[in-house]
Amino acid sequence: MKPLHIVLLIIAGLGVAAVVSLYGNTTKYVSFPEADKMAVESPGKDFHVVCMLDKSKPMEYNAEKDANRLVFFAKDTLGNTKKVVYNHPKPQDMERSERVMLVGHSQGDYFQATEISMKCPSKYEDAPVK
Amino acid sequence: MESVKFLNESLWIGNLGNVMVVMALIAALTSGWFYFQSANKKTEEFRNLGRKIFYIQAFSVVSIFVLLFSIIFLHKYEYYYAWRHSSNSLPVYYMISCFWEGQEGSFLLWMFWNAVLGIIVAKTAGEWESPVMAIICLAQVALATMLIGLKLNDSGTHIGSNPFDLLRIQKPEILAGIPMASGKAMYLKMITDGNGLNPLLQNYWMVIHPPTLFLGFASTLVPFAYSVAGLWMRKDRQWVNHAMVWSLVGVGILGGGIIMGGFWAYESLTFGGYWAWDPVENASLMPWLIMASGAHMLLITRSTGRHLFAAHLLIQLSFWLVLYATFLTRSGILGETSVHSFTDLKLSGQLLLFLFLFLLISLLVVIAKQKARNIVIGAFFGWITLLIFMAFVFNPETQKSLDGFLHYTNIVLFFSLMGAILLLLYKRTVKEGEDEKWTSRELWMFVGSMFLILSLVQVFSATSIPVFNKVFSGNTAVPKADAYNRVQIWLAMPVMLLMGIGQWFRYRETPKKDLFRILLRNGIISLVLGAILVFAFEIKEFKYILFLFLGVVLVTGNIMYFGRQKNMPWLGYGASTAHTGFGILLIGVLVSSVNQNVLTGTREGIDMANEMDRNGQVNTAGIKFNRENRILYLGEPVVLNGYEAMYRGTKRGEGVDSISNYFNILFVKRDDNGGIKDSFTLWPKTQKNPNMGLINEPSTRHYIYKDVFTHVNHESSMDRDEPFAGFKNDTISRGEKFLSNSGKIMLRLDSVSKHRFKSYLVLKFSVTAKNLTDSATLHPLYLRDTISNQEESVTDQSDEIGVLLKMGGVFTDQKNGTFQTLVAERSPRKKYVVLKAIVFPWINLVWAGTIIMVLGFAMAVVYRLKQLRSMKSP
Repeated sequence: MKPLHIVLLIIAGLGVAAVVSLYGNTTKYVSFPEADKMAVESPGKDFHVVCMLDKSKPMEYNAEKDANRLVFFAKDTLGNTKKVVYNHPKPQDMERSERVMLVGHSQGDYFQATEISMKCPSKYEDAPVK
Repeated sequence: MESVKFLNESLWIGNLGNVMVVMALIAALTSGWFYFQSANKKTEEFRNLGRKIFYIQAFSVVSIFVLLFSIIFLHKYEYYYAWRHSSNSLPVYYMISCFWEGQEGSFLLWMFWNAVLGIIVAKTAGEWESPVMAIICLAQVALATMLIGLKLNDSGTHIGSNPFDLLRIQKPEILAGIPMASGKAMYLKMITDGNGLNPLLQNYWMVIHPPTLFLGFASTLVPFAYSVAGLWMRKDRQWVNHAMVWSLVGVGILGGGIIMGGFWAYESLTFGGYWAWDPVENASLMPWLIMASGAHMLLITRSTGRHLFAAHLLIQLSFWLVLYATFLTRSGILGETSVHSFTDLKLSGQLLLFLFLFLLISLLVVIAKQKARNIVIGAFFGWITLLIFMAFVFNPETQKSLDGFLHYTNIVLFFSLMGAILLLLYKRTVKEGEDEKWTSRELWMFVGSMFLILSLVQVFSATSIPVFNKVFSGNTAVPKADAYNRVQIWLAMPVMLLMGIGQWFRYRETPKKDLFRILLRNGIISLVLGAILVFAFEIKEFKYILFLFLGVVLVTGNIMYFGRQKNMPWLGYGASTAHTGFGILLIGVLVSSVNQNVLTGTREGIDMANEMDRNGQVNTAGIKFNRENRILYLGEPVVLNGYEAMYRGTKRGEGVDSISNYFNILFVKRDDNGGIKDSFTLWPKTQKNPNMGLINEPSTRHYIYKDVFTHVNHESSMDRDEPFAGFKNDTISRGEKFLSNSGKIMLRLDSVSKHRFKSYLVLKFSVTAKNLTDSATLHPLYLRDTISNQEESVTDQSDEIGVLLKMGGVFTDQKNGTFQTLVAERSPRKKYVVLKAIVFPWINLVWAGTIIMVLGFAMAVVYRLKQLRSMKSP
């Protein structure tokens, strides 16, 4: 075999490995009940939940009590509501967000979020005309 | 509807702008046609005509640029673009940033760079001018249609998005709110200010980062054009020299532009770092990886004649990937599954079409027979005509049901185009030659390039997940940064090793004895230096130690190479310089991210991370905290991990910036005896922006060997205020004490001073307010207009005491100085900030490495240009 062919073979193998490892580690977007189920099936893994802020329930952040604890309720795309705990300060303009993506896992009766990203209607799109 | 004649609009700017857009399109088309004819028939007249028309094209692009800038500069808010992206208060240099906040502006910027590069190519390409310029013109045609803003039907199908669109047409609700026709005509009187520029973009890096990046994007077009021209003209070798210079320009500028963006993110965003594997970042990294790989492939082809297939493929891929990246970030497809926001101009179909168009070009030049070529062209244009016809004929409902059909034809079209290109290109360019030797430079350079491609494959697969979701109706979540880091660190290692030792190999074959000797020396030096650095940087994990060691191999190997080639001028060491810089950059990335120290970090349930070493020092490097923010009360020092910090007060910004609060945070580092070793003040900022909401901006203390990076995530004034209650009226005189309603607060009127301000008589009071623990001085004001005799009081309050005070009303007794007061109270509240502070060790290596790398590319470009020139004039 030529050196070039050996090299190409190894690299192709590594490429397949990299892609397989990538997709092997991805997760699906889940709902809250699915996240509850997953927490039992594969503990220690984080999942993505796309949801909206449930504004009918209070959002709790008291920096003087604990600067790293935000508690709020979120409604996933199927309409399930769940309590969410996030151990960071309240993200700026959380109340204005129209959609929230949570990354985390179910823990007891709440969802422990490790990452929150928000889509705010105001930031890049048009603000109402003054 | 009655017709209204709108007043005060400067429509001529937009009209002229539209004429220029059309002219740019037509000029690009005609210039391209002449160049195309000249390339096929080898006639000079056509070439000269094409060149002249290209200059007209460049002129139109520059005119559009100037006109669009003037509507922003002159605050012509009748234009949507100016209204949407700028405001009266913006300084001129940020007006430049407004330009690329909108998509139309960034397409224009791209066109501008293409025009500039086109002029340079026309002057330097020599015999290659006609075919290369024909391709550049085609790109200009594609980009010009992005600006044309032609509406195809009522349901909003349109070609391009016009930057000169009027506000009243884009936002008809503005007029709808005005009842009278005469009022409508005067609508501009109401639009006195624009929406403003996103404050995050109000940073000097945002003035120069986008143009640099777009120049990088634009510069992938030229090597692509040379590659296509090489196949088209059936000259296998000569295109390589030109393409190599241009690809080096591209890699250098694109690399610099990417890191500039990272530096901007580090300075203005609060995710704490310069790279987050965000899709937008990945979109610029992908073409860079493949260009870097392609440039090396060109080097191999130039020196040995091998790998012509890979050289063509990689160079063409880099341009396709720029088109793909544009589609990815600007079509709104990421918005489907990711929360990253992009303005969607509904141009995804058009962007996809361009990708197909250039794939078609790549295909046409590898088809050997004219007849087959004609069939392919016919089929492609037939398909486009069908699409446009459908947009005109069918109503939106029918079109929706056709979407599924189009979806599958697109997939089939894409894969058949790609397959055909690969197959025919392979047939055209691959020739059997003698085997490569294990000790040849080209083999290892090829391997290194392939590892860059592996790196690309991983980034591409992860970033494209939203696209795959759409194409195959999947539901896969977008991976987090960790998914990239975990794989990329291992893919980088072989690249680093090969970059470090590759230059010791010679083309074709290297004498084994020499090779062995120098590799041994390089290895020993790297081992010693690496061991020292592992201790100096306190790297602990095996994979990071390995990474650091390979980084050292890379840097030392290239430094050792300097001066080793006899008869080579210093400019010839561009590659070594660029490689050295890249190595320093990678070492900086490793050290600054692995040994980040979150100063404000704590562990759950524990106030302070209490890991002490033998000397009783808190060492928190590398510890994972689960709580990263600390509360700092005004005036109370807090012990952080390695520093003491105190919140000392708040300052308002000045002028335009008066909506910003700057927080004075004092950091103190103490030595073993408690003496002050170092102290500095940082000013992180929050801004309550009326259009964008709350924004926080970090503040950083730079040292040579580390940065202390801090930002405020929350502060007391963001809390909802309890209302004041227990209002109590009093009449008091100077020096007199009085109590609040509950009796908990004691106040004393210390002094009153009289001032005149214009027609106002102003009394400024100084009142001390005390409760059990704290005291504060309040300065309420009383004003009387001496002309109208109108009176006004300005209240003052203290949140720490929980008191509101209003003075004034009537001067009851001028002689004794007795005044009316109104006092109200609420529970006292301390001022505080919630702070996050991180130490990034050796982050300057990242920036220094980048500068050295770009310098190296510049050297290489100049060196290769000189070579090219000396080849032309023997």
